[in-house]
Amino acid sequence: MNISSHSPLTQFESIRAPILSDVVSQTKKDISESSLELLLSEALYSERFRLKRNRPGFFTQKRYKNDKKIWSQVQTGLILSASSVDRQGLLDQVLNHYAEEIGGHFDPTIYKVATYMVPWFFNWILNAASVQRFLPWGMTESLQSKLHILGEIKALQKLSKKGTILLVPTHQSNIDSVLIGYVIYLMSLPPFAYGAGLNLFSNPLLSFFMSRLGSYTVDRQKTNLIYKHILKNYSTRILEEGVHSIFFPGGGRSRSGAIETKLKLGLLGTGLQAQITNLQKKKPNPHIYVVPMVTSYHFVLEASSLIEDYLAESGKHRFIITDDESWQSLKVISFFWKLFSSQSTITMRVGKPLDIFGNFVDEEGHSIGPNQTSIDPVKWLTTRGVLQSEPQRDQEYVRELGLKLVERFHCENTVLSSHLVAFVLFETLRKQYPDLDLYRLLRITLSQRSVPLDKFLKNAEIYFQKLVLASENRKLYLSSELQTSQVQSWVDDGIKNLGLLHDVAVVRAQEGVIWTEDMNLLYYYRNRLSRYGL
Amino acid sequence: MKVVVLGGGSWGTVLAHLVSQNVEEVRIWVTKEDQARAINSTRVNSRYHPELLLNHNTHAYCSLEKIFEGSVAGVIWALPSSVCREQAKVLARYFKGDEILIHATKGVEEGSLKRVSEVLREEIPCPRIGVLSGPNLAHEVARAEPAATVIASYYQEVIDAGQSFLSTEKFRVYGARDVVGVEWAGALKNILAIAAGALDAMCLGWNSRAMLITRGLAEMVRFGVKMGAESSTFLGLAGVGDLLATCSSPLSRNYRVGYGLAQGKKLQVILGELKSTAEGVKTTKHVWEFARTQEIYMPITEGVYSLLYQGHAVGEVLSALMRKPPIKVEI
Repeated sequence: MNISSHSPLTQFESIRAPILSDVVSQTKKDISESSLELLLSEALYSERFRLKRNRPGFFTQKRYKNDKKIWSQVQTGLILSASSVDRQGLLDQVLNHYAEEIGGHFDPTIYKVATYMVPWFFNWILNAASVQRFLPWGMTESLQSKLHILGEIKALQKLSKKGTILLVPTHQSNIDSVLIGYVIYLMSLPPFAYGAGLNLFSNPLLSFFMSRLGSYTVDRQKTNLIYKHILKNYSTRILEEGVHSIFFPGGGRSRSGAIETKLKLGLLGTGLQAQITNLQKKKPNPHIYVVPMVTSYHFVLEASSLIEDYLAESGKHRFIITDDESWQSLKVISFFWKLFSSQSTITMRVGKPLDIFGNFVDEEGHSIGPNQTSIDPVKWLTTRGVLQSEPQRDQEYVRELGLKLVERFHCENTVLSSHLVAFVLFETLRKQYPDLDLYRLLRITLSQRSVPLDKFLKNAEIYFQKLVLASENRKLYLSSELQTSQVQSWVDDGIKNLGLLHDVAVVRAQEGVIWTEDMNLLYYYRNRLSRYGL
Repeated sequence: MKVVVLGGGSWGTVLAHLVSQNVEEVRIWVTKEDQARAINSTRVNSRYHPELLLNHNTHAYCSLEKIFEGSVAGVIWALPSSVCREQAKVLARYFKGDEILIHATKGVEEGSLKRVSEVLREEIPCPRIGVLSGPNLAHEVARAEPAATVIASYYQEVIDAGQSFLSTEKFRVYGARDVVGVEWAGALKNILAIAAGALDAMCLGWNSRAMLITRGLAEMVRFGVKMGAESSTFLGLAGVGDLLATCSSPLSRNYRVGYGLAQGKKLQVILGELKSTAEGVKTTKHVWEFARTQEIYMPITEGVYSLLYQGHAVGEVLSALMRKPPIKVEI
């Protein structure tokens, strides 16, 4: 595949240095109003906490030592009197350090190798795992056959040549980024930049590939203002450069299993800023297109830790699970093995593209307003007669985009048979114990967690009809297994797929009874259908 | 700078007159050609304000092409809520997207219970929308008696622009961010205006009226908060301010509905006599139906509902309200 023609990422190494220096000087401008001493001491305070909390691992020792050195210099600088220390120099040092850490790399050769290797690796494991590996005529399975990629693929391909794409997927699993990267390749799109958690860079092999495939580093443990500014400015800057980017707007993986309802608006706002700058500079392809993407899994690798984290009160402030099962290599291999050896599939839907305000755009990239009106983004960004940024207005635009994205995520979701089975069983149990609140319901004993199959099927029919109605009203999509009037057939399919990965059976049916072995997991998968008002 | 006022009714005309004191040109959109001609030649909108002489920079048109010709800085929406969506669909294509759109319509959409600004946002490609509401009896503002109003918007720009369009020496414009609260307050007070009219027709004194207004306000807050409003908004001009003005003015259409009912007239007869809509009649129905499903405690609204739609007499409703079990904690 020829990727060099329309991706600025391929020439990224040559523009990397000027980009980083722009980011540093823009950040200096942004924070010039605030007190230097206050900013530095606030950053120092939170960084010292971070360094104390996270002890270095084998691969991260060098980074840790380097961090420590810089921050102890800052500390010394802050203790001494302002006249004897160049505090501006200290700030510059911190800014450059952060910019360098965030800034990604791109190596076209590695990209070529990876795009060749990844499918090869997948195909190898797939065929090794596949029950059909003894098929005659040399038939092979491919990862493609396990992925259902649906939706506005053509529009996305077209728009990627007319402007800069901001792909905003829902986020359930660490597998997401690998799959999305691969899907982007399958759709013959140029490589995308992607903000990856710093913890993923601690594995040297992963780090080698990731940092050369356009991903930049995001450390969500760095909460100080200086870092946030640098990160935002970097993201804005590469969008302005025309680098297609991926943001997970939910922040991290969905803890509850539900589709995102609260989005992190900070990074989304960088899209609007890039749009404004591009229009001001009268660039030839100034528009940023926001494309939602919803992945539907029958099973999620790290479901148990996610839902436990969600249910635990402490989950509220512990945002990063640094060591969960998703990056234990055996678990990952086992995930793909099970995926490939079963009839199970993963469904990914490319949503209708939006402009930076959340209006739909057609394939030519024109924004479409209500009542078939056409929208000129320049007008929406004109305040008091001038095309300009206006922080209060822009904040409101980003909030509206966030609301629109939440709505679109729900509309673009493909409901799988397993989601519905989990939903029906959970709700049937909930009705069976009307006096229990959620937490007590989750703690009922194994023998209490069963429902007569005929009662379950009756409820299944009711919820199914509601979903059919919702899909007719374009509120969601039904997977192909659900395009049937035979309740029994999708229920069987759902039960088979839902229990696939976990050590326990999430749902089991036998001798006229249906039950669950793990209430938390049942709740997790059930949550995919919360917020539809079923 | 040019501002368009959509609607040449009573309030629209007065708003146009206020704006004309601050901008270069004001264009009023009216539906009938002869009305436009009359306004342009006499400088008076004789049907609503025969005594108000409009400024020379104010012109009326019935052609939308003409109204939106050239660049338009602001649009004031003063059309009745019953035609809101329908008119918005027609008007959508005239907007360029950089206008400041401020509506002065009190009421909500039938059925969906959507606020006017929500309907406008859904139908018109113009994001910067605000709402104007307050104790503003049109005739008093027309006579340049001192008055104040609120413009609420999520966009500071809209508030700033609205203040520069509408502020005069006799008209103060306050800003607010609680769009939901300001819009719902404007719609809900109409229910209480009907009740106030009914009370007055029974020749009751100040105690009864104070009871109605205070307890009515509590119902407004309860409902508003459920819809996402901030309770403090109801203490402002758009809340208690508008409520006091509407409940005290025999000119208010909703007040006259209540007054007529208490005199034993039939609802249809009263509405026929009014010649224009009384928003509160429909609002009562929608709000009461919604409150019942959401279990929001609104006894006065329930009373007005039974007055309007179940043919109960005012005395009956009042004594039923007084016989309700006492509330232990007032608020």
